[in-house]
Amino acid sequence: MTMLKKFWKFISSMRFAIALLLILALACAAASLIPQNQTYEWYSQRYSERTAALIMALRLDDAFHSAWFIAITAFLCVNLLLCNLLRLPQLIRRTRAESRPEGALKLSGDISAPDVDDPEAAFARLRMPRPAPCKAEDGRDALFAARHTAGLWGAWVCHLGILLLILGFGLGQMTQKQYAVHGVPGQIRRIGDTACFLSIDDFRIDTREDGSVAQYTTDITVENTASVGPAGGSASVSVNHPAVLCGMKFYQNATGWAARVDVYKDGAPIQQEVVCAGDYLSVKDREGLVVMLNAFYPDYVMTPGVGPSTASDQLNNPAYLYSIYYQGQMVGMNALMADEKVTIDQYTVTFSDPQTYTLIQVKVDRFTPLALAGGLVTLLGLLLALYVQPARVWAIRQDDGRWTLYGQSRKGGALFRERFEKAIKEK
Amino acid sequence: MLAIENTLFTIVMLAYFAAMILYFAFIAVKKEAVARVAVALQIAGFALHTAALVCRGIGAGRLPLTNQYEFATSFAWGLCLVSLIFIIRYKFPVLGAFAAPVIFLIIGYAAMQSKDVKALMPSLRSNWLGFHVSTAIIAYGAFGVSFVLSVIFLLRDRMKASGFLDQHIPNREKLDMLSYRSVSLGLLFLTFTIITGAIWAERAWGSYWSWDPKETWSLVTWIIYAVYLHLRLRRGWRGRSAAIFAVVGFICVLFTYLGVNTWLPGVHSYA
Ligand code: HEM
Repeated sequence: MTMLKKFWKFISSMRFAIALLLILALACAAASLIPQNQTYEWYSQRYSERTAALIMALRLDDAFHSAWFIAITAFLCVNLLLCNLLRLPQLIRRTRAESRPEGALKLSGDISAPDVDDPEAAFARLRMPRPAPCKAEDGRDALFAARHTAGLWGAWVCHLGILLLILGFGLGQMTQKQYAVHGVPGQIRRIGDTACFLSIDDFRIDTREDGSVAQYTTDITVENTASVGPAGGSASVSVNHPAVLCGMKFYQNATGWAARVDVYKDGAPIQQEVVCAGDYLSVKDREGLVVMLNAFYPDYVMTPGVGPSTASDQLNNPAYLYSIYYQGQMVGMNALMADEKVTIDQYTVTFSDPQTYTLIQVKVDRFTPLALAGGLVTLLGLLLALYVQPARVWAIRQDDGRWTLYGQSRKGGALFRERFEKAIKEK
Repeated sequence: MLAIENTLFTIVMLAYFAAMILYFAFIAVKKEAVARVAVALQIAGFALHTAALVCRGIGAGRLPLTNQYEFATSFAWGLCLVSLIFIIRYKFPVLGAFAAPVIFLIIGYAAMQSKDVKALMPSLRSNWLGFHVSTAIIAYGAFGVSFVLSVIFLLRDRMKASGFLDQHIPNREKLDMLSYRSVSLGLLFLTFTIITGAIWAERAWGSYWSWDPKETWSLVTWIIYAVYLHLRLRRGWRGRSAAIFAVVGFICVLFTYLGVNTWLPGVHSYA
């Protein structure tokens, strides 16, 4: 039983909290120094095989999602929760006691001064509320005032906020859904596995006089084809200005190149689509024949030993890097300049009309507001803990009719005592 | 406007340098009049610094808080502001002798950065960026002051007792208290910085926290100062140990600010 009690005490102690916080700080620092989410091969090239094996064994390749990192955070939460629960009754009792004279009048305070003629003026100089008359234990006249008892709650509120924040973040990580949709104006795309479809109505890139990009904006319309859930609508989405539609949040995330791909069979057009770089087109006429646009270079340069790249964003020398697959086998790959053609059997493929596509990120995280609330509560707690300083001042009448003034402020320390002395001297 | 800013910036550097020399002279000759001139010079430098930042803001047509130069000069401005508050409010000119070199170093670092005004990329065009960076400046300034106070605290023990010392450097308890007050200010504003940064990241990138190195290091800094607060509540940990923690905390601040940009890649690399 005592073992168990000791265990509880340790689990909810500040010592444990400090240890956990330091471990967490060390873990974060270590993880930030090691590039995350790379492969064993990558680490063994960058460091050594032994280090790479160690990184993989300790899951330092994805530290922030590893079991041990989550365990530390979970311990921190349990620690905080217990600490806050155990301290609650005591805190309520203390808040009551601090605002009443009974307890204080027995004490000698952090500081005191005898022979004060006008105690009320001293209270005012100490920026205390008007003191209430009361009686000391031995029946003498006394005055008492307390201020800012809310400050006692600072640490508690701050810890509550941190709990909410971690809870909101954790639940968000577990339940959030993320999709990416890309395309050019006129295209309609399904959003992941949902029943919602996103149509790209327009995509604009605003540039300044010097040619730098000021803003990317996509006009979108979202339609919910399911019979349940919120109906869709239209919105403009730009960087720093996301929009909410169908219960999902849409962000302007990136842009890239796309091109028109035309497929001819025996010289007759059979298919035409706009394909984004990285995407492919399946030839409808021939099962298993796939044309992929690997990359697009607006200002193509080929450097031997380095490979293809682009010299600028201007369409000075457009080139299309494509590959063609048949039944999963690559049957061709090359860089094609404008007006060039590829021919495979009776099929001919051309690339033209380079244009920019937009990438919209779609996210559903119901717990973001909880995390935000947690952050704000943490902030409020810090404000209370660090800037609202509870203080008590009381005075007891001496035999000669003058008063002895006492003051107490746990947080105020030397600064409170200094102010107290000044208030007495000022007269 | 930018030309005016350039001139002002040079004058500000000179003013801070002169203030630093005068603070040193004050300690050497132990004359209060020298301290008064040093404080006045620092105030004048601060006023001109403010004017320089305003000129740059007008010249660039936006808040001057978006690149390495602008953030460095603003960081020096914040440290100057917070140290002046402590110097004046707690009648503590000796603090200036320790703060001025740090301010001068930071503004010197700013002087080495490119002063070009570049057009902002879309993700940086956000009001949240303004809140994010301006709160960071106050937080870093306050942490800088707590660092300086802690260094004074640690040195005070080694200094021989003298009348000058007792008159012009607060006792250990008060130094500890002042350091606590400045860490409090810093932590409050760092919390603001992290929250506004998270809100901005959510709007710009769709994710409010992505363990980017700069985010991670701001969290490390936040945790270090949280530990500092807890340690102070434990008997025997006030004073020396707390002071050492405040020094470590400021090293984290500097690493978050400079080291991360230099050594670790991430979305924050441009600022
Ligand atoms: C992880 C578990 C944590 C535990 C168990 C814990 C525990 C405690 C305890 C027992 C106190 C003393 C309360 C009092 O005197 O009324 C305290 C104070 C405080 N805690 Fe925590 N804490 C934790 C984490 C944090 C974190 C991460 C922060 C973030 C800033 C924080 C902020 C504070 C503040 C501001 C105070 C008041 C400090 C002061 O008055 O100087 N705590 N904590």
